Amino acid sequence: MSPTILAAMHTSGTEAALFWIFGPIAVLAALGVVFARNTVHAALMLGGVMLILALFYAAQDAPFLAFVQVIVYTGAVMMLFLFVLMLVGVDTKERLVETLRGQRLATVVAGLGFLLLLIAGIGNAAIRTSEGLANANYPTNAAGQIQSGGNIYQVAKLIFTRYVFAFEVTSALLITAALGAMVLAHRQRVMPRRTQYELMRERFVRGAHPTPLPGPGVYARHNAVDTPALLPDGSFSELSVPTRIRELSAEQGRRPVPSSLGSAAGSDRSSAEGDER
Amino acid sequence: MRLLAAFHAAANPNAIPAPHIEYRAILPMLIVFGVACVGVLVEAFVPRVHRAVTQTVLALAGLVAALVAVVANTGLPRRLVVQSAVAADGPTLFIQGTILALSIGALLLIADRSIGADSDFVAQAADLPGTEQERASVRAGLRQTEVFPLAMFAVAGMMLFPAANDLVLAFVALEVLSLPLYLLAGMARRRRLLSQEAAVKYFLLGAFSSAFFVYGLALVYGYAKSVEYGDIATSLTSSDRGDSLVIVGLALIGISLLFKLSGVPFHWWTPDVYQGAPTPITAFMAAGTKVAAFGALLRVFFVAFGGLAWDWRPVVWGVAIATMVVGAILGVTQTDVKRLLAYSSIAHAGFILTAFAATTRASESSVLFYLVAYGFMNIGAFAIVMLVRDADGEANHLSRWVGLGRRSPLMAGIFALFLLAMAGLPPTSGLWAKVAVFQAAYQGGAGPLVIVGVLASAVTAYYYLRIIVLMFSQEPAVEGPTVVMPGALSAAAIALGVAVTIVLGVVPQTVLDLADKAVPFLR
Repeated sequence: MSPTILAAMHTSGTEAALFWIFGPIAVLAALGVVFARNTVHAALMLGGVMLILALFYAAQDAPFLAFVQVIVYTGAVMMLFLFVLMLVGVDTKERLVETLRGQRLATVVAGLGFLLLLIAGIGNAAIRTSEGLANANYPTNAAGQIQSGGNIYQVAKLIFTRYVFAFEVTSALLITAALGAMVLAHRQRVMPRRTQYELMRERFVRGAHPTPLPGPGVYARHNAVDTPALLPDGSFSELSVPTRIRELSAEQGRRPVPSSLGSAAGSDRSSAEGDER
Repeated sequence: MRLLAAFHAAANPNAIPAPHIEYRAILPMLIVFGVACVGVLVEAFVPRVHRAVTQTVLALAGLVAALVAVVANTGLPRRLVVQSAVAADGPTLFIQGTILALSIGALLLIADRSIGADSDFVAQAADLPGTEQERASVRAGLRQTEVFPLAMFAVAGMMLFPAANDLVLAFVALEVLSLPLYLLAGMARRRRLLSQEAAVKYFLLGAFSSAFFVYGLALVYGYAKSVEYGDIATSLTSSDRGDSLVIVGLALIGISLLFKLSGVPFHWWTPDVYQGAPTPITAFMAAGTKVAAFGALLRVFFVAFGGLAWDWRPVVWGVAIATMVVGAILGVTQTDVKRLLAYSSIAHAGFILTAFAATTRASESSVLFYLVAYGFMNIGAFAIVMLVRDADGEANHLSRWVGLGRRSPLMAGIFALFLLAMAGLPPTSGLWAKVAVFQAAYQGGAGPLVIVGVLASAVTAYYYLRIIVLMFSQEPAVEGPTVVMPGALSAAAIALGVAVTIVLGVVPQTVLDLADKAVPFLR
């Protein structure tokens, strides 16, 4: 047996160190996923958990799984999470109102109970000999010779021989998922598409603003989308700040008009002052 | 071909030998999977006007062909096939045949559009409920024909779940059967928010139960170093590892299986989903899923974990008692006929569990017989529920059913027959099914369970008979619902249910013998 295989048979010092450093981080990150208020933070912590798991797989002689974990989970699945978050809106807050009274308490109690049961059950299980992946990656034949192999080869062998049916049946699952997504999201157009003329009419009958809306204000000291533009008569243009941003500013307690600007606007002296700077 | 393989092997010592696949043994499943895939292609290529007919014919032909294949396979030797991933034995064929026959009945209900000038399915699932777009879709006569391939995938998963001989394949099959059902549950035409809520509930809880299955699978693998049922059984007698690992694993797998067959305390989804789902899907789900889940339960617990029977039997006793009691007592308070049938299905799961708790050969065959009897009476009962309608669609509230027997004696009479069967009264299949499971339970030393079972049966009989009294003894309300005449397809499904229920009630011996010959499971 080559030294690397021998080393892999037992938990080496490096591997133990790796586990005890990154294990707690993974657990903390997992807790963060549950408790983070901001959904993007939760998603990023989930990414952290997945990466650490990939690290563990790699450390335990399963490079294939490690790469799949990174490519599929950290890469694709995480991106999907983030896409959905962006579509829903980063600032969307969960409404944490209990519709069933005492549900949260019951959940915590049940969760802790389940955790205790699992810990007691698994902790009680005496696993005296741990095989490690080395036996699976480099199986020996009857004569004690190491057969050709390696992790990826052995995984491929299992997928395409012993588990070939499960592998094939998984495709049914993927087809179902794709079909389901189509059914839930694709809409056949049954009403005639509205023409440009109809859209235009509808807009003007409603009395909407005919021209493009004015842009935000640009000042010597302020230049942002939430800064309203100044009208010729010295007042601010409400239209120059997008509605959503006005709402957001109001929600966050910010005044839509910068205070310095509020007093400065319309006064010749202070605008001249601004020009000098 | 073989020469070529030998050449490759000589040239490359790393060449992976091609797996040996017994195509004939898995032909029934392959047919259904194939038809489902062709159904997806039909969606893509056949013009809209022809789709519904094409899908119906295709799906029915596929199910019949698969049923023929199952019957043709009965002569084959019992063995493990496809790299010992699938057990081709008597119970597999019996359960697959049952599922196929039930699916034919359910498919007839799904395909029938003659009831109330439209179907129970939404015109376009993507339309938001209550919008102008939704009304326009209904006016345009759109139809979500994807229902057919989805249902076929579910059938294929149901067939594979009890046939799988390792936990990995069983898990994949569980997902294949569940995923389409989650989707289908949300596609009711009326009360769409209720239906969508049911789908989301079913999906979330189902996803949790699947996670439990995988967790249990991992722990069992850690114990037995294998996921194959035979290897697990061997390792139970020889492993040097502490039993607690495998017991925790088995508990988690058991939770997942009990969830699927709505055993208490994992039954919470059942009434909501049964009520919210389109009625043909409820019929399909109630009959098919229960058969598949019980088949898998028997195989997993008897074949893989039979060695632990001393550990899991008390738990099964408790679950069986709780399931019967909850199903019976909560059923009494129901006012919606679909919810009532849901609680009745929970109670029936409890009755079947009494035989399962006995862990004898007779319990295997009696469970198989019960599944056949229960499946068909269920399909028939839900088919009648589809027919009782008023202007808003199905009239599911029991107060609307008052006097239905006077208005439409035939349909009410057939419904009464199915209710008698569920209550286990002669001359129906339900009587012999109950006798079989209780006898098996008694002989297996589960006498107390039989007592609870008989008492629970009496309580369930109360609510079934109450409906019959409601339908026949009182005058119908003036503005009550009407019973529409079923179209040819639903009529065929109802006739199938009636025929099986009466034939099994009068001459049960043939099917009892068949079930007896099918067992035991291949160990």
